[in-house]
Amino acid sequence: MSGPSKAPANARADAEAGAEAALSGAREARPSLLRRLVSRAGARDLCAFVVPGPEVARARGLGLRAAGLSVSATPRHANVLVVVGELPVGLREAAVVAYAQMPRPRAVLAAGAADVSPLPGPDVSADAAEESLAAGVARLRRLFAGGAFAPEAEAFEVAALGSRTEYACPMHPEVVREEPGTCPKCGMELVEREAADGGEQGDPEDAHQGHDHQGDGRTHEEDMHHDDHAHHGEGDEHGGANHADHGSMDHGDMGFMSMVKMTRGTPRSSDGLQMEWVEAPFGPLLPGLPGGLSVTFTLDGDTVAEARANSAVGRRQDPRGPVEEFVERFARLDPLSPVSYRLLALHAVEDAVGAGARDEGALARVGALERERAASHLNWLAGFGHLLGYRWLARRAEELQLALLRAEAGGIPPIRAEVRKLARRVERTSLLRRRLAGVGIILADPAGASGPVARAGGRGADSRADEEAYLTLGFEPVVQEGGDALARLRVRLAEAQRSLGLVTRAGGISGAIPVPDAGASGRGAAALETPRGSANLRVKLEDGEVTGADLETPSAAQTRLVGAVTEGREVADALVGVASLDIAPWGVIGEAPREAAG
Amino acid sequence: MSALLAIVALLAGAYFVAVLEGWASTGRFRPAGPVLAGLSLLGRESVVPRRPDRIFFEVAPPLLLASAVLAAAVLPLAPGLIVADLATGALFVNAALAYVMVALLMAGWGPDGAYAMVGGFRFLGQLVAYSMLIVMPVTAVAMRAESLTTTEVVASQAPLPNALYQPVGFAVFLVAAMAVCFLPPFDLPTAPGELAGGVMAEYTGWRLAMMRLARAVLVVTLASSIAVFYLGGWLGPLLPPWAWTAAKTLAVAAAMLFVGRYVPRVREADLLAWCWKIGIPLALFNIFFVGVLLLVV
Amino acid sequence: MSPLAQYALLLGLAAGSVGLALSLYGIARSLGKTREEEGKDVPATAGKLSRDPVWARYHVRYYGYALLFLAFDMEMAYMYPWAVVYKELGLTALLDMGVFLAILFLGLLYGWSQGALRRQ
Repeated sequence: MSGPSKAPANARADAEAGAEAALSGAREARPSLLRRLVSRAGARDLCAFVVPGPEVARARGLGLRAAGLSVSATPRHANVLVVVGELPVGLREAAVVAYAQMPRPRAVLAAGAADVSPLPGPDVSADAAEESLAAGVARLRRLFAGGAFAPEAEAFEVAALGSRTEYACPMHPEVVREEPGTCPKCGMELVEREAADGGEQGDPEDAHQGHDHQGDGRTHEEDMHHDDHAHHGEGDEHGGANHADHGSMDHGDMGFMSMVKMTRGTPRSSDGLQMEWVEAPFGPLLPGLPGGLSVTFTLDGDTVAEARANSAVGRRQDPRGPVEEFVERFARLDPLSPVSYRLLALHAVEDAVGAGARDEGALARVGALERERAASHLNWLAGFGHLLGYRWLARRAEELQLALLRAEAGGIPPIRAEVRKLARRVERTSLLRRRLAGVGIILADPAGASGPVARAGGRGADSRADEEAYLTLGFEPVVQEGGDALARLRVRLAEAQRSLGLVTRAGGISGAIPVPDAGASGRGAAALETPRGSANLRVKLEDGEVTGADLETPSAAQTRLVGAVTEGREVADALVGVASLDIAPWGVIGEAPREAAG
Repeated sequence: MSALLAIVALLAGAYFVAVLEGWASTGRFRPAGPVLAGLSLLGRESVVPRRPDRIFFEVAPPLLLASAVLAAAVLPLAPGLIVADLATGALFVNAALAYVMVALLMAGWGPDGAYAMVGGFRFLGQLVAYSMLIVMPVTAVAMRAESLTTTEVVASQAPLPNALYQPVGFAVFLVAAMAVCFLPPFDLPTAPGELAGGVMAEYTGWRLAMMRLARAVLVVTLASSIAVFYLGGWLGPLLPPWAWTAAKTLAVAAAMLFVGRYVPRVREADLLAWCWKIGIPLALFNIFFVGVLLLVV
Repeated sequence: MSPLAQYALLLGLAAGSVGLALSLYGIARSLGKTREEEGKDVPATAGKLSRDPVWARYHVRYYGYALLFLAFDMEMAYMYPWAVVYKELGLTALLDMGVFLAILFLGLLYGWSQGALRRQ
């Protein structure tokens, strides 16, 4: 069988024989007949896990299924990690974790990403375009067929994955030692615990303030019973919150312990029972939620007791610089709605220069923006359908979204008709109405969310209503009452239809939009209704260079709503609520640095 | 000999169901799909999660397969073609299917992972919902056949299949059967979008192959039970008996697989409420209705 | 076939499925062992390593249904033999079981009215 020490002669002989390159995540074994058969079967059965998420792939017009990859919900069932677009800094660790959890043989396919470190170098690189992706998948198949088993396979070791054993006192979790011993504070035996190596475990913001020390008395007594099981606690930053203890509560050797005594001090659930709470990440790479949104639920059974959400995307490239570069970098800020951000940057720069929107370009800009809005809503709908388990909806919305992205100006009306049919069918599915009614309801919104979330709650703010170009096309915002997931679904469906109508009436989807001349100075501000809400940008120009930019995106406010939407609900309803907010984690962190006042 | 033929037929049926399932979920019809997937899975590593409940983790896939196979073993393909024609066949089917729940709970608890745990306990709730609905209609079927032997159940449908004789029971049993084999829209334990695979998520490699095989056999078993209990098994003109059973089984399996595409996943609370508030009164009414029919007609 | 032989055959079938599992294991093992790597054996949770155990008392919300389920399950155990002899016994059988079912059904209605049939 296999052995790590291979004579160099063998490797050379293989290379001379023209053996194909091995996968970076190959299994270490000598190729044999059965292994070759199995590798070839594996090459025809490629299953992809998409980072940062399938919605990013769709937003770029990539049809993964058409390219020959089936998409998996969990890295464990996948054998290809597909990275779509540049991997943001904050998601690199998540991608590494996902890759590490994939069973070998595994490969990395980079679609439009130049640098995927610390993942092993991409086995296949392709552009983020349909044909290039198909060719890349074909290359990947050949790689799999030949290189799934290799005599030498590198290990995949990254600091973020490591773990070490440490010893902590069950009563005082802050007392941590590297060797077994006793706690200096209370004299108890230190218990073995698994912790992440190489730094903090979890986000620094994960500190539990709410319910830390109530559980201590209970855990102290229980831990005296657990000799055979190591007692796992949470990281140091988590204070005294030891939620998850072992379920084996038979204390035959130590006498009967009443449930009342054991659960004294723990928080009560809505039905009055006190049970342990477990913290589970529904983290950055869950296919049902927006990729890059890191959500952590504290689960009480299947109910969400607490929720935390933040964007895992991390800092993006500083967009400041010459005007053209600024606009391009700004467009890359959010892969889910590049046209909106590009237009926002352009408007702000034009405002600073004093150019004002040119009339003949205005309608074309409206066309481009509205097309993206419809595509974004369909993209969201595809992901939402997948979360709901409504496969027909997910499939149909994805087809329509990809068709819309590829369509020319003349191809819009048939798509509009299809979207209308889709909306009618969705309206008729009573089980869907039943599933969504009352879920994720937001009655009063102190966070000040905008966009479809606000309009679904009856607050009809829409920055498009002030613009001249829109008024000439006969625009009216879509407002619904209800403030729940069903209302948001209806708002987005209606908006998609109206957007397509606007595109048809505008008559054009402008491609190239001219950038104003360099060499100007001034300050400008612009607001734009992105598909997720209104975004505001203020820029400061100096000699044709953008030296300051201040961006406010709608997603920050929506992320603050996650708590209200999820707490106290069943986990499936909580996820539906979060997904219905349509948060784009790209705009939350990593906004362009704020300029100093003055 | 007939036992062997029945088992081969069962595996062939499982293969067809796997192809149909692939078609229903991806939209592409790939006849070689299950073979490729099976070989590919055998070639992948099988990862065992850290500190699992090893017994539960390992026992769950074979237990799921065993329960499905045992339940199928008492269902007839043709008058002589059955593995074991137990006198208490109809009861045995339900007894064997009870282990589906045990297997999935083991799969949920074993890996010590959050998603699997939630999936496993959601399936337990699903069991509390469907369990009565899978048992009560079978009672009504046994009333008509005056026996629990599955071959006699089929024989009793010679005048009229049970689907027409007891339509309410048929509808209830059909829904419950979809819930037993956790097909969408009842795929609470393995929700791909919500729980990223749920109970199946921690199985990789050959163990995942076993789980998928077991799931396919389970679907065939339930489709076969519907064909036997409600559609008249092998009865029908022209074609040989085994062809009728096969056709009915595959038709039911296809219906169960394709219906799920067009409906969103049911919430656990809704499933429980509907099964207990609507399903059980309907099932009780069905028993009463069949009772009266049997006395009167 | 005698019932004993039938049950022996079924036991053989169960053993056979375990045997299938073992042979699949054998084939997979002959292709290679699983390589132990950091982070691979942590349960997959969407891109964040969560090493905490989740073996805790799980707070189910359907215990109202579960209690009623017990009662109805016991009833079903009695209904199987009754169903087999029903047609023979005629109306008496219907009335006997009808009374039993009616009492249970009333229990169901009572539980419903008291809020047992909902997510607790």
